[in-house]
Amino acid sequence: MELIDYQDDGHFFSGHVACAGCVEALALRVILNTVGSDAMAVVAPSCSAVICGGYPASALKIPVFHTTLESAAASASGVKRGLVAQGKTETTVVALAGDGGTYDIGLQALSSAAERNEDILYICFDNEGYMNTGGQKSSSTPKSAVTGSTPAGKETSKKNMVEILAAHRIPYIATTSPGDLNDMAAKVEKAKAIRGTKVIIVLIPCLAGWGVVDDGAVKTARLAVDSGVFPLLEVFGGHDYVLNKTTKNQPINDYLKQQKRYRHMSVEQIASLQAEVDEQWQRIQKRVEVSSGFEA
Amino acid sequence: MVATDKQQASPLWTTTTSEVRLTGTWREAKPDYHVAPSPCHGACPVQGDIASWIQQVSRSEYYGAWLTLMENNPFPAIAGRICHHPCETACNRQQLDETVGICSLERFVGDMALTQSWALPAIKQDDDCSVAIVGGGPAGLSCAYQLRRRGFKVALYEARDQLGGLMRYGIPSYRLDRAILDAEIERIIDLGIDLHLEVELQDQAALKRLHKEYDAVYLATGASQSKNLPMLDYQQPWVLDSAAFLAAMSHGQNMLLGERILVIGGGSAAIDTARSARRLGKAVTILALEPEHLLPAQTIEVTEALEEGVEFVCGAMMQSTQVKDKGVQLHCVKVDFSAGAERGEFAIDVLTGSEFNLVADTVIPAIGQQVDMDRWAGLLAADQGLAQTDQGWQTSCRGIFAGGDMASMDRFVTHAVGMGKQAAQAISHYLRPHTEVAQVKTEKPVGFEAINSYYYPISKRQKQKQTELETRLDGFSEVQQALSDHGAMIEAGRCFSCGTCTYCDNCFYHCPDMAITKLATSEIDGSPNRAQSGPSRGIGYSIKSDYCKGCGLCVAECPTGSIIMREDTGCSTKQESCS
Repeated sequence: MELIDYQDDGHFFSGHVACAGCVEALALRVILNTVGSDAMAVVAPSCSAVICGGYPASALKIPVFHTTLESAAASASGVKRGLVAQGKTETTVVALAGDGGTYDIGLQALSSAAERNEDILYICFDNEGYMNTGGQKSSSTPKSAVTGSTPAGKETSKKNMVEILAAHRIPYIATTSPGDLNDMAAKVEKAKAIRGTKVIIVLIPCLAGWGVVDDGAVKTARLAVDSGVFPLLEVFGGHDYVLNKTTKNQPINDYLKQQKRYRHMSVEQIASLQAEVDEQWQRIQKRVEVSSGFEA
Repeated sequence: MVATDKQQASPLWTTTTSEVRLTGTWREAKPDYHVAPSPCHGACPVQGDIASWIQQVSRSEYYGAWLTLMENNPFPAIAGRICHHPCETACNRQQLDETVGICSLERFVGDMALTQSWALPAIKQDDDCSVAIVGGGPAGLSCAYQLRRRGFKVALYEARDQLGGLMRYGIPSYRLDRAILDAEIERIIDLGIDLHLEVELQDQAALKRLHKEYDAVYLATGASQSKNLPMLDYQQPWVLDSAAFLAAMSHGQNMLLGERILVIGGGSAAIDTARSARRLGKAVTILALEPEHLLPAQTIEVTEALEEGVEFVCGAMMQSTQVKDKGVQLHCVKVDFSAGAERGEFAIDVLTGSEFNLVADTVIPAIGQQVDMDRWAGLLAADQGLAQTDQGWQTSCRGIFAGGDMASMDRFVTHAVGMGKQAAQAISHYLRPHTEVAQVKTEKPVGFEAINSYYYPISKRQKQKQTELETRLDGFSEVQQALSDHGAMIEAGRCFSCGTCTYCDNCFYHCPDMAITKLATSEIDGSPNRAQSGPSRGIGYSIKSDYCKGCGLCVAECPTGSIIMREDTGCSTKQESCS
């Protein structure tokens, strides 16, 4: 049995107000402990902001700057440049934002920072909607998923943020999930050592927003990976794709069954979503094939 | 300046950590570490702590694994060869890929103990009470071992000139090497057993004398009488008793006449007889009532017998015999066999018109053994041909206990070993009521649904090598070969360790609230399966009631089913430890 091997040095404190069983808190634990003590966090309004903060208490050992929803990447860029001006070139600046603050409202700031290749580590906790404000759809919400603002299921597909970021030719993009904490820690470790803009998208099955049982988010995340709905991959320099889990060995049904937001789906809708997943998988496979494989 | 630095914090900064919020108050249920029985433990005739010793093997703590095995069974090298392993039939792993090779691992550890001459811990204190054990088979030896470990004076009476009972006189050496048998028996005798060989208790008067002389008596004289087939004339020179044949074989004597041997029966004794005869170069046929898939012998025995060229005629019975010029003709008929509710019970329908003949030079019935209860008539009550005993294996005569084949129809070596152990506990309680406490585990075994199989990639069972078929029939050397060190390590790693924590730290790392504390070594009592772990790994865990929100992720991500959620209605915030 593979043991979990990152070191918890107490960089994330108990007493935060994430829901019971929230894997965003679990991901924060892995990320903050891997990033270490020479770091500063910039947090956009999101579940993370609530989890990290609640003035006058902080759940993080490192300093945290709470910024606005549209400007996580811009604020992080400024913090990093300020640190560099002070000669603190090694300090990691980690931006923490949700999919709303990344796919929608913060996209312009992220695109600009990526274009300038700012030396920041940008973490997107992707729970596929505005879950902190009661569960509205975002451009990350997948097709057919029910949210507060798409009561009959969303009609359009999830925005492909990996491809958008890859088009910026930044040094490192990765996806990870709380289904594999070693994978998450390894990717944060790798990103920490790279200069320039690094973006890690973490799939966060949201208990309330997706309708998952309290102890089911890790399992749901694993099913998302195993079914190919959320492939674990890395993109180097915007060109070179690496698939970390190279088999897609399950249909999406088991993944969908874990969640109330997909409960209404017809056989045709499931088939349509399955086709989308299959098409995405093949597209990634092709990218992996033409990659030079300089980083595996 | 950092946020946690309370004294020097300026008002611009957060002044404290989130730990001031006791989010544990949100909780409705709380995880609880518990040790639950594994299915293999429940099925094991000696109630072995299988999950514990396999875990020790996987950590290379071989001596510790052997001691854990020896708690319940003084014959790991023997059981690792011949046990019918109901543990493997019960194993949860078969619902993922294949059962864990528990028996082969037991043999691995048992053999290592013999090779390295490992010694048992010294007996702590001697007790004045004395116990006589009658019968040096698996039940008697097991009982002698367990009582001697507890400090009692033990005298062992055996009718034959060597110990071992059925293990020596019934099981051929190609299944159980005699050096292994001798060594595991010797280890028991070396504990200081007063041994009386070639002393047979002829009647109840002799038993009464023993009862007077000792504080308690344990009878385990086996089932020494062969059951007889009514349609067979046992006076004929071509009829041979299987028990007598196997006993003679164990001394290297060959009693067979002619080249064509017919064995009647489908149990282990029948297969042992047939395979022994094959090794003497005979043509052997087995005639069994049961269809092949219902034969009472272990599947592996049947498979190996077939490999060795034993012919099987299953689902048929003999009706009469006729001596001809060239051998004995057996008039047989096919039957429709249906198994009954209890082991050994069955019903048959003769299929008319299906008559056929078999020819043989020697006919060996091996249809089971029965107990000679007449010997004890007037002193011990009998029940359906067995010694009548209560739940604590005490006979109708106070102070006389019985077990093994003479008191049970569970006629496997390890069942006898388990009965010996249970009787020893009962005798110990009888002699010293205040010291021996019966262990009762009523909890349900951990089911497959409690195991998080994500953590166990598909991995095929490590198979024991077999001696090549060509050389097998040349002699009586062992057919099954031991696992390699590497194979044993892989096999031990396949164990789910159902209900027994392996200290993998998964619960610790999967808590979103940092509400699980790893306990340091010194905070834990020295139970055997917690002896050693990696440097940064926890050795026991406790739940911080202040922060546990009761989500159950630790339970869901536990690979062994060692944590359960319990409703938590109290408002206690004290730390509760892993027990």
